[in-house]
Amino acid sequence: MHLYDLLLNNREPLKILFTIIIGFACFMIVLRTDKLFRLSYHQGIRYFRNAFFFYGLAFILRYLFGIFSNSLMKFVFEFFLIMAGFSLFYSLIWKKFEIPGKESYSSLINWRIFLFYILSIILVILDYIWETYCFMFGSQIVLFAYASIISYINYNKNKGKEFTGLYFIVMLLNFIVWAANFVVAKFLEWYRPIVIGVYAIDIIIFILLLYTVLSLTKGKN
Amino acid sequence: MAKKRERLEVIKDILSAIRSTRNIKPTRLLYASNLSPQMFKEYINELMDKGFIKIDINEEDKKTFSLTKKGNEFLEEYRIIERFIGNFGL
Repeated sequence: MHLYDLLLNNREPLKILFTIIIGFACFMIVLRTDKLFRLSYHQGIRYFRNAFFFYGLAFILRYLFGIFSNSLMKFVFEFFLIMAGFSLFYSLIWKKFEIPGKESYSSLINWRIFLFYILSIILVILDYIWETYCFMFGSQIVLFAYASIISYINYNKNKGKEFTGLYFIVMLLNFIVWAANFVVAKFLEWYRPIVIGVYAIDIIIFILLLYTVLSLTKGKN
Repeated sequence: MAKKRERLEVIKDILSAIRSTRNIKPTRLLYASNLSPQMFKEYINELMDKGFIKIDINEEDKKTFSLTKKGNEFLEEYRIIERFIGNFGL
């Protein structure tokens, strides 16, 4: 219980640390993947990069807006978090909807992404009206369940590749985090020890992703 | 039956052919790329639009292709790009 008390008594510095760790991980991932995208014009890399751009914005803006207004912070945080989930998921399935080599000029302003913007705003508004987070949680649980299945299939198809298994684990952890968020919000009234556990898994997910991206993009072969 | 080449692999093959010959004529590049003329034209237009290759005209008024700095960089980083896409299943 000492650790729990220590964490609870240092909430503000820990919030800043959490934001810095995730913000830094996202920044590095965006930087590395942007370089790869500008060379390859590969749409999967483009949406993967965008996902971490949105994750970074979500966590940094949550902290910054949280200082001034809780309702604005909730709106902005949810919107970018849902957009990040959609982008990450779409990076796995984009080939079903787009022709390689015939990409849109902008990956942030095109009709497919516009659909994601609309869906995200609808989910945020629904959460706002019902004063809940459940619409966001529900959407992300469905997305990451599907993403976990796709990653597992990729892992089975490409067993020789060193990080396919790790990416499947990351997707599964994401699914677990969103499911835990839903349970703790809906049935346990934000029971703090579980919330802290969820934050810890969040950090593990982003560090694992950063490690994978850095390992795959380091040096020349 | 031979496996169909991925788009990035085709680009890598075209750029490698240009690099190995330095200045290559369009017809020779078409043969080296192993593409249909229609597909070849599409790829060449795309590679020129994206700044990977450029057309040079020699003293005999003949067109040849050569790599730009960006095209060279793509070839240097190709393995990394391929590994990244494969590992994340993108």
